Amino acid sequence: MTARAERPPGIEPGLGPATRELLLALADDDFVLGFADSEWTGIAPHLEEDVAMSSMAQDELGHASAYYRLLADLVSDDPDRIAYDRPAEAFRHNRLVDHGRGDWARTMVRRWLYDTANAIRLEALAESTSRPLAELVVKVRREESYHLLHGEAWLDRLARHRGEPRRRLVEAIELVGPDAPSVLTALPSEAVLIDSGIQPVPGADLLARWSARIEPVLAGLGLSLPAASPAALDPDTARSGHGAAFNRLWTEFSSVRALDPEATW
Amino acid sequence: MTDPLALDPVLPERERSRLPFNEDRPHDDRYRAFEDHVLAGGKVEAGDWMPDEYRTSVLRFVEMHANSELMGVLPERDWILRAPTLRRKLALTAKIQDEVGHAQLLYRVAEDLGKPREAMIDDLLAGRTKFHNVFHYPTRTWADIGVIAWLVDAAAIVAQQALRDSSYAPYARTMKKICWEESVHIMHGRDVVVTLAEGTPEQRAMVQEALDRWWPPLMQMHGPRSEREKDRDLHWRIKAKTSEELRQEFLTIYVPRVLELGLSLPDPELHLDAAAGQWRYTEPDWAELRSVVTGHGPASEARIRFRRVQREESRWVRETILVAGGAAA
Repeated sequence: MTARAERPPGIEPGLGPATRELLLALADDDFVLGFADSEWTGIAPHLEEDVAMSSMAQDELGHASAYYRLLADLVSDDPDRIAYDRPAEAFRHNRLVDHGRGDWARTMVRRWLYDTANAIRLEALAESTSRPLAELVVKVRREESYHLLHGEAWLDRLARHRGEPRRRLVEAIELVGPDAPSVLTALPSEAVLIDSGIQPVPGADLLARWSARIEPVLAGLGLSLPAASPAALDPDTARSGHGAAFNRLWTEFSSVRALDPEATW
Repeated sequence: MTDPLALDPVLPERERSRLPFNEDRPHDDRYRAFEDHVLAGGKVEAGDWMPDEYRTSVLRFVEMHANSELMGVLPERDWILRAPTLRRKLALTAKIQDEVGHAQLLYRVAEDLGKPREAMIDDLLAGRTKFHNVFHYPTRTWADIGVIAWLVDAAAIVAQQALRDSSYAPYARTMKKICWEESVHIMHGRDVVVTLAEGTPEQRAMVQEALDRWWPPLMQMHGPRSEREKDRDLHWRIKAKTSEELRQEFLTIYVPRVLELGLSLPDPELHLDAAAGQWRYTEPDWAELRSVVTGHGPASEARIRFRRVQREESRWVRETILVAGGAAA
């Protein structure tokens, strides 16, 4: 693939680094979640769920590709190079998706928490002053609505099954829940994004909207979200310092390309 | 696009009930009427009366096909994480998703013949039923993914295209859908192989090495020659072509396509005998085929064990679905 040199309309010169940070966050979130979900392909608990999970993984990867493409246009680079040829520590996905695949309960909880938070974030970004971003977000939201339904159905099903399903669900919420707010935590350069309207709503407001939306659902099932971890709320740590699970994933997904990063694959 | 499943509509109930083997008659009359119907190219639906021999043969055939789709996802699945570009990763995930979907469709066809899905998976994991030889081998490099998606799927599609006219109509209809999807996989596989063949010397060596390794199992895949007259699956028109006919067809289409990429095939005897219109080749190792499909291939045990562990770990999820009134896995 060749990199395109023209700057897309709607992104002002000078906003480069902040916009880059936002697009990278959006892209890496979907990329890493898509990877984790695709680990179920072929081995999900049920053939029908296997097919559904593969579909969602492909949606996430498709969205990640589109964000990487926008970013590649902005910095005159190639989407695959951005996606694959960075060191592990340069990835800017949130702490929630840093938790490895785990069991089915953890996968469903991680999906649901991410999908609900992402929906709040995309709802706001649909009003972005960056036209290419706003247009892309409209497309992404259409596909995400199915994911939300799927996640909510599983949350409900596991919560209502006393015994092992509910126990596993509660364990998963306790494990990954504290990191979930990191999806919406302000980016380090949020001030610039807000001033330019590229990001119309600050992270703190998004977090409040998200809580207001998910808390009643959880309460209705006799569940609650544990307190956020300090690292998840700190702009400097919400999307960095990825742990061992991500390092393993990174080593794996970059292994073929690492044979010859200059070759065409 | 036309929905492949919408072709060949099922006869209405009233017309089917007039077929002589569906009438209440002595068994031998029914058997003869059924045989006449099938030998004349007639189709059999799940609700029709059928001889036990026919039912058992179709079930065994479809069950092995379903098992092969299910086990066939494992060799490729290992590479979803390692796919080297966004496009490749999407294509590979989509391909494997198709295969899981095929397993699901085929298990349904088999279930209608009287064996529950759980029982089929139990038998598969206990080594009581078989799956295709090619899925008993390990994958070693990214080039394997290209060779599998191109040539293993091509060999499979040659067989599956001949099944679109199977006498068992639900299977024939399913094959139409599957063949269409498999043709997309072949394009993805060929693209991976072509990219490597046109790439760096190392990439080219990688794809040649993969081809050398996969060729013997590919030559074994359709099975040893058999006599048309003695093959009960042919008699009942469950399938239409012999092993050798399928292998010849595969070689006719794909040998030139491999060679035009400047790649070679590891069989010095392989050539087209123009006078006879037949490909000649070194006799495949049939002892290896028998050993591999009975669970003694290089990756057989690891694959079955992996599936068993995964199934055990997610048993609680299936039980949750069952209690909720859903279908069994």
